Amino acid sequence: MRTAVCSVEHHDGGRLPEKHEPHFISRLRVAHPLIINAHAFAVLFIVSGVFSKCPAFSTEELRKLSWSGIPRQVRPITWKLLSGYLPANAERRESTLQRKRQEYFGFIEQYYDSRNDEHHQDTYRQIHIDIPRMSPESLVLQPGVTEIFERILFIWAIRHPASGYVQGINDLVTPFFVVYVFEYIEEEVENFDVSSLREEALRNIEADSFWCMSKLLDGIQDNYTFAQPGIQRKVKALEELVSRIDETVHRHMQQFEVEYLQFAFRWMNNLLMRELPLRCTIRLWDTYQAEPEGFSHFHLYVCAAFLVHWRKEVLEEKDFQGLMILLQNLPTMHWGNEEVSVLLAEAYRLKFAFADAPNHYKR
Amino acid sequence: PKITYNFLFKFLVIGSAGTGKSCLLHQFIENKFKQDSNHTIGVEFGSRVVNVGGKTVKLQIWDTAGQERFRSVTRSYYRGAAGALLVYDITSRETYNALTNWLTDARTLASPNIVIILCGNKKDLDADREVTFLEASRFAQENELMFLETSALTGENVEEAFLKCARTILNKIESGELDPERMGSGIQYGDASLRQLRQPRGSAAQTKQQCNC
Repeated sequence: MRTAVCSVEHHDGGRLPEKHEPHFISRLRVAHPLIINAHAFAVLFIVSGVFSKCPAFSTEELRKLSWSGIPRQVRPITWKLLSGYLPANAERRESTLQRKRQEYFGFIEQYYDSRNDEHHQDTYRQIHIDIPRMSPESLVLQPGVTEIFERILFIWAIRHPASGYVQGINDLVTPFFVVYVFEYIEEEVENFDVSSLREEALRNIEADSFWCMSKLLDGIQDNYTFAQPGIQRKVKALEELVSRIDETVHRHMQQFEVEYLQFAFRWMNNLLMRELPLRCTIRLWDTYQAEPEGFSHFHLYVCAAFLVHWRKEVLEEKDFQGLMILLQNLPTMHWGNEEVSVLLAEAYRLKFAFADAPNHYKR
Repeated sequence: PKITYNFLFKFLVIGSAGTGKSCLLHQFIENKFKQDSNHTIGVEFGSRVVNVGGKTVKLQIWDTAGQERFRSVTRSYYRGAAGALLVYDITSRETYNALTNWLTDARTLASPNIVIILCGNKKDLDADREVTFLEASRFAQENELMFLETSALTGENVEEAFLKCARTILNKIESGELDPERMGSGIQYGDASLRQLRQPRGSAAQTKQQCNC
């Protein structure tokens, strides 16, 4: 770790010629994203003060480090950097945050009163009935939080009229909101009382969640536009991929006339959030944000790995009902980092084997 | 041990968002109210075997998402449905007004013989009622629908809704109005009936014997 700190200082002092050492972290032998130790990562970040000392560190290095999981302490800022919400240049961060937060609350002033207007009331009504029925782990059932989610979703929806608000998008706010809440408290507590936060903190969390969710959605817009072509395409790709990597499972599904759309539609529409506990989704998103096109493309490989993970259980089911019920209620309640890491490693392997040769997964 | 059944019916639950479709299905299958029911994404599946008029019928039920954007997915389930529960919320005029659209969809996309029962759900919230029993009953009659007010919370009329729909289909099969062997009828013979079919057309007594084995 000392070396790391030194190398940062050297870099800052400008003693290393840029073209020979463009990425200071490569000195840490960051060879493969799977090998990095999360602890080392945390220490590196906190001790070396990467964010304050190195004004333009390489986003590429940050991606590599984040791939195998981001320590809780640095997750909020890392997510904001990876999503492109915060600029890599540290000097511009504070002003960017201020500007973006102001801009968001400007939208609220400009648009939020229109939620009861004739052409927006359907959107608002739908959001309004969906929020209270979200999972309690989203903290959304707490007083004040409901309104935050409503504002975020309504503003996003009316600024994106081609998709508007589609059920499932509400789930995508949750990981950002929960991660950014924990930026303002020391210890992670179950069911933390959000209303104990200062009002300013809550406003910041709201604006940051809005922008990061918007960045995420920018990459998967065709999931939610008319006829949801992105989802249709990905479910087809999933089927082709599974037929290549596990013919037994694929044939088994065919034999009992289970169609991939029947269970995988939700996997795509909600990015597996309905299938996994929230802690796993947050861990998954570390990697999705570190991976180029994580949410739009890598997710496909994760879904394939996820399905094949249950091959034993799938093959034990001998009729349509049994298969459908299993696939809609996969037992992931106890899942944690370890299970997600295994899943991600397998997805990475699949991507490596198939991504550059799309014809490989065409039969 | 595998339960044998005489028929398999494919059912659909449709209607606007937030009317309680998933809770009706949950109440029917699990016999309890689903407290934390998140909105349905796309389509979800449930199944239960019931006894109707001396026959064992397996119901395969597709519970659809109410939101407009999912129609492209949910519509693909209409074809091949034998019966449908069309659900509105008695405390929401808006969900009642949308019934015509839902009905048009069902009648165009599903088999013309689809049996539909209209369910005015959330009967327990009578104090907030926006749709009267009488106007809904008139709507049902004018559109040749069966009609019940239901409560997924208390369970009132939930089982009845599914059974009534199943019984009507069964009657239509027996009267010859519905042909299970027609493509996309949403009806299949179960193993109990198949054995029987291989023999020359049997009497009612024979059917009973098959059921009891």
